[in-house]
Amino acid sequence: MVDLTVKGAALAAAAAGDFSGLPVYAPDVECAPRERIRAIQLEKLKAQVAWTYGRVAWYRERMDALGVAPGDIRTLEDVRKLPFTDKGVLRETFPYGLFAVPLSEVKELHASSGTTGKPIVVGYNAHDMDVWSDCIARLAQMAGVVPGDRAQMAFGYGMFTGGFGLHYGLMKLGCMMIPAGSGNTERHIAMIEDYGTTVLIATPSYALHVCEVGERLGFDWEASTLRVGLFGGEPCPPGLKAEIERRMHIVCTDNYGLTEVMGPGVSGECLASRDMQHIAEDHFLWEVVDPETGEPVPEGEVGELVLTPLDKQAIPVLRYRTHDLTRVVREPCACGRTTARMQKVRSRCDDMLIIRGTNVFPSQVEDVLAGIEGVTPHYRIVVDNETGLDRMSVHVELKPEAFSDSYAEMDAFRASIAEKLKGVLLVGVQVKLVEPGGIERTTGKAKHVEDLRRK
Amino acid sequence: MSVMQVSVFLESKPGHLRRVLDAFEAAGVSVRGYSASDTGDYGIVRFVVDDPQGALEVLREQGAAATTTEVLCVRLDDRPGELARVMGVMADCGVNVAYSYSLISTYIALSVKDVAQAEALLAHEPVELVDQAMLASPLAGGAAPAAAADAAAAGAASGESAGAAAPAGGR
Repeated sequence: MVDLTVKGAALAAAAAGDFSGLPVYAPDVECAPRERIRAIQLEKLKAQVAWTYGRVAWYRERMDALGVAPGDIRTLEDVRKLPFTDKGVLRETFPYGLFAVPLSEVKELHASSGTTGKPIVVGYNAHDMDVWSDCIARLAQMAGVVPGDRAQMAFGYGMFTGGFGLHYGLMKLGCMMIPAGSGNTERHIAMIEDYGTTVLIATPSYALHVCEVGERLGFDWEASTLRVGLFGGEPCPPGLKAEIERRMHIVCTDNYGLTEVMGPGVSGECLASRDMQHIAEDHFLWEVVDPETGEPVPEGEVGELVLTPLDKQAIPVLRYRTHDLTRVVREPCACGRTTARMQKVRSRCDDMLIIRGTNVFPSQVEDVLAGIEGVTPHYRIVVDNETGLDRMSVHVELKPEAFSDSYAEMDAFRASIAEKLKGVLLVGVQVKLVEPGGIERTTGKAKHVEDLRRK
Repeated sequence: MSVMQVSVFLESKPGHLRRVLDAFEAAGVSVRGYSASDTGDYGIVRFVVDDPQGALEVLREQGAAATTTEVLCVRLDDRPGELARVMGVMADCGVNVAYSYSLISTYIALSVKDVAQAEALLAHEPVELVDQAMLASPLAGGAAPAAAADAAAAGAASGESAGAAAPAGGR
């Protein structure tokens, strides 16, 4: 049996291909045969649709208009008969229009961090909170977190689902919570040392900031008690995660989720397939559709993720359009889990930039930068059309060791980055080198794109 | 005989140069000369200071992109035609000056591709090369001689290239 409390033990076991000693929180569903998972999903889908139809006028009206009754849901594929939900519906019905239980039963409200447009609000009853904690406990165990771990929260609490979501889930698993909250990096580092913190919950960009500040202060990450980083709140490029693991001597995973369907914990990364995340399929029915037509894409191909929570009582949502692009595979994983895995979301249908007619995703910029020595994973894209044509510039942070006294060499370095970006993006970009630390580290969703174009 | 120049990568934005200079001041690093040009969004600001290692440490602590480079330092006489004469000597020796800037008083810094080769070529020429220790001492007419000697000693102790050189630089 692997002693998971030993720093590096979980990663070493994973590297050796031995997952037998790594924990699974809910093996009866996470490792169940596919047929069993489908049976659970179908049973819950029927109940969920009936619950929603019976209690939420908005859905009842839409389903009546489509001529669909709860009794028409006989197979999992019948989910396609149901109406889609998008963020606009949650705004339209703000604040309580989609609630299916009396407010006296609601334990907690949360709001989206408002990546796009106005915030939306969601509520949870005791059952919902329990399901949510279950999902978090699963993803924490995928990363090797065990009861008795000391988990320090670097997300802000408040309305953002990340803070309390992870807090309750880790408590349910049996961790001691250190609710530090966001900000004050030096205090975070002092707390890790003073309290013997073993798990840090943060956005990946903030974790890197903590790492850098610690290094500057002479903090010895290798000797520290910290063992696991649980990331969320923003997509984590593989290069960034690997860098944090190497410099902080910890294992880092990230999870996927969104406030509209619950919050963090819809899916989580195991140590066997690190570019994928296991979906909590007994709690969420997934579809992958063509974002234009809404029709399913062929098995395993990239499309927009659509989620139907199967265990959500306070605010049920049917077929939520996430606008996140991914692909889902059902093959069993080396870690022993049989739940379907979704590719980590790197881009959204709506963060695609169209530059002089060419589609460009920020994730492509991330991939290029990850392959260049001498720059950090931090970047910023600025688009304008002052001169009439779209113009995209990428601000890239220089690593101290890549600096040379020769302006000609620095300019050649800058030009080589521009050349590599052009090769992948297929549009010419200006590259602007900025000082180390010159790109703002955020605790929420890293703001990578600034579009200044006049329409 | 050469001096150690400290270069730092800086964005061309208000306050960025000041941040470096404030840090130098706090660390007691004295700037003896510097150069900054309009190279666009970013530039390389080059310093000649009394304590290059100290300056580099300050910059690294800040997380800045900084490095040191060996450059020649020449003392000129303060008279018309002196700069032309020295550059003439450089030209006659076939040494290309990549960039150059003036320091305090009549000292100039010269960047050349091969410092050791340039030093050898200039050894018997009428050009007064200066080392780190000399540059660290306050100039004539300034501080008391004792203080000047102390500063020179401190400079010699910390100046990498000057360490092995004789303390008296002039001819």
